[in-house]
Amino acid sequence: MDFKLTEEQQMLQDTVARLVREGYGFEQRESFRASEAGFSHAFWAQLGELGLTAVPFGEAFGGFGGGGVDTMLVMNELGRGLCLEPYLHSVIFAGGLLEQLGSDQQKDQLLTQVASAQLQLAVAFEEPQSHYHLNDVQTRAQAVDGGWTLSGHKAVVIGGQTAGLILVSARSAGGGRDEDGISLFLVDPQAAGVTRRVYPTIDGVKACELLLDGVFVANDKLLGQAGKAFGALRYQQGRAIAAQCAQAVGSMEEACTLTLDYLKTRKQFGQPIGSFQVLQHRMVDMRSELDQATSMAMLAACAADQADSDERSRTLAAAKYVVTRAGRFICEQAIQLHGGIGLTQEYVLSHHAKHLVMISHQFGDDDHHLQAYARLLQVA
Amino acid sequence: MKVLVAVKRVVDFNVKVRVKADNSGVDLSNVKMALNPFCEIAVEEAVRLKEQGVASEVVVVCVGAGAAQEQLRTALALGADRAVLVESADELGSLAVAKLLKAVVDKEQPQLVILGKQAIDSDNNQTGQMLAALSGFAQGTFASKVEVAGDKINVTREIDGGLQTVALNLPAVVTTDLRLNEPRYASLPNIMKAKKKPLETLTPQALGVSTASTVTTLKVEAPATRSAGIKVKSVAELVEKLKNEAKVIQ
Repeated sequence: MDFKLTEEQQMLQDTVARLVREGYGFEQRESFRASEAGFSHAFWAQLGELGLTAVPFGEAFGGFGGGGVDTMLVMNELGRGLCLEPYLHSVIFAGGLLEQLGSDQQKDQLLTQVASAQLQLAVAFEEPQSHYHLNDVQTRAQAVDGGWTLSGHKAVVIGGQTAGLILVSARSAGGGRDEDGISLFLVDPQAAGVTRRVYPTIDGVKACELLLDGVFVANDKLLGQAGKAFGALRYQQGRAIAAQCAQAVGSMEEACTLTLDYLKTRKQFGQPIGSFQVLQHRMVDMRSELDQATSMAMLAACAADQADSDERSRTLAAAKYVVTRAGRFICEQAIQLHGGIGLTQEYVLSHHAKHLVMISHQFGDDDHHLQAYARLLQVA
Repeated sequence: MKVLVAVKRVVDFNVKVRVKADNSGVDLSNVKMALNPFCEIAVEEAVRLKEQGVASEVVVVCVGAGAAQEQLRTALALGADRAVLVESADELGSLAVAKLLKAVVDKEQPQLVILGKQAIDSDNNQTGQMLAALSGFAQGTFASKVEVAGDKINVTREIDGGLQTVALNLPAVVTTDLRLNEPRYASLPNIMKAKKKPLETLTPQALGVSTASTVTTLKVEAPATRSAGIKVKSVAELVEKLKNEAKVIQ
C-alpha cells in the first residue's frame, strides 16, 4: 500500500494545519465556545474562502473532487485543534446527502453555497427514542396539497442552531423501524411551526432539539424520492463516520503529545516523572492504541468512497469501534498521567477528553457498532 | 518588471532535530521538510508586487534535490507564475548557491531578486549578499518594508540601531526579514492551479557553474545541555567564579 501523499494533498494538509495552528489556540477556542453561535463565523468563512469546505464536492460546484483521504487530512487537523465549526455535519453529512439525493435544480441552487460555506446545513436524523437507529423515525410527514406537513421531535441536531437549512428525516409511509417509507426534507428553521431549543453539548459543540408542529414543506424541498431516503442516510452517515474517525485521531495525537511533554517536564521525587518505567509503559500503551486507531481511520477513509455494501458498512463499524475505544483509553490515561490538572477546565487536555467521549456516542456507540459488525459478519 | 524569488527546502520549524550518531550531520531521514519561513515571506512580497501591478512576472527558483519540487509547487500555489529547479543532490554552501543563482539571474534577467534573509537550518545570512556582489546588483537586506518608486526601490532595513531606509537603483537584491509581511494561505483553487504552472529543471553543469566546495564539515554536535544554575553567597564568590570557572573576566 502506498501511503505517500500527493503534492496537492500535502499542500492541503499544510494549509489546514497552519490555519488551525494560527487561528485556534486554546484561548481563542474558549472565546468561540462561549459565543452565541458556539463557533467562529470568521473561521468558518475562512474555511470557505480557502476552498476547504469545497474539498469533497465536484468541480462543477467549485470543489476539489476530493475523496475520503482528502477529507481525512482536513478532519485530522480540525480534530487536532478541537475546532467547533460544523464542518462534519454541514460539508460531509448534509452536503453528501444533497449531492446524492438532490435534483439537478436543488444541487445547482444549494451546493455551490454549501461548498463556499455561505450556507451552513445540519442534519436532523436522531430522535429521543431512536438510539442510533437511522430507521427508527417517528416524525411524520403528511402529504398535503403542494407539499407535506412535518410533525415530530428530532434530537441533538448539531449545528442546527445556526443552520440556514436543516435536512430532516421524516416518515411518509410505514411504521416503527421500517427502512422503507423514510423521506428527507429541506426545512427552513425560520418556518412557521419550527422550534429550536439550543444547548451546548458536553464538549462545547452546540446543538438543538428540533420540534416540528405541522411545518409545511413544499414539494421542491423533498430530497430524492419520497420514502426512499434510508439508503442514502446510511451511506452518507458512513462517510461521516470515516471523517469523524480522522477527527478523533487528530485529537488523540494532540492528547498524546501533551502527555509526553508533561512526562518529560513535570518533576517529582527528584526527577522528571517520565523517567519512571511504569509511566513509560503507559505512554507506550497510549501510542499503540493511537497507531491502531490511525490505521483504522485510514482504512475507513478508503472505504468511505466505495460503493454501498455490507463490507463497507462492516469496515466502518469496525473503524468507529476501534477508534472510539482508543480515544477513551488515551484520554483516560492522559488525565491520569497529568494528575489533577488533566481534569481542569483551564487546560486543553480535559477538552480533548470530553470531545473523545462525545464522539463515542455519535453515529452509534460501541455496542451499536459491535452488534452491526457481528450481524454483518454472519452475512459475509 | 520581472521578479525572481529564490527559496530553500529546509526542515520544518516544528521538528526537534537530532544529530546523527556519527556526528556527520543532522538526521534528516523521515523528517518533515517545508519551505523556509523567510523564503515564504519573499514569495509573498513578490506576489504582492504583482498584485500591485509593479511586477509583471514572478519566477521562483530553488537549488536543491529533486524533492525540492514540493516547495516550488507550494510557491506556485502561493502565486508565483513559473518555477525553476536547479537540481543538485549535494549539500551546497552559500557561495555555491549564490553562484548558481547568479547563473539563473543571467538567464532570466530579473529587475529584482528577493530572498529570505537566512535559512532556518544553516542560519548563514550570506546568500543574498553574495549574489548581489557576484551580479553587481544593489542590495537591501533584512527588509521590513519594500517600496518600488520608478526605477528605484526603497528598502527599510531592520538593523541593530533601529530602522534604516535605503534607496537602491534597480536591478537589486532584497532579503526579507520577519516583519515584512504575513504570508497568505495556499487556497484550494490555487493549489489546483499550481499543478498546471510550468516547472523546469536545470543542472549546475548546464549552467556552467562548478559547485566544488572549499569547505569540509568536520563534526556536527548538539549544543551542551543546560545545567542547573548555582547560587553564590557573596559578590567575592561571584567574581571568583566568573574569573576562574566561566572565564569571562580577567
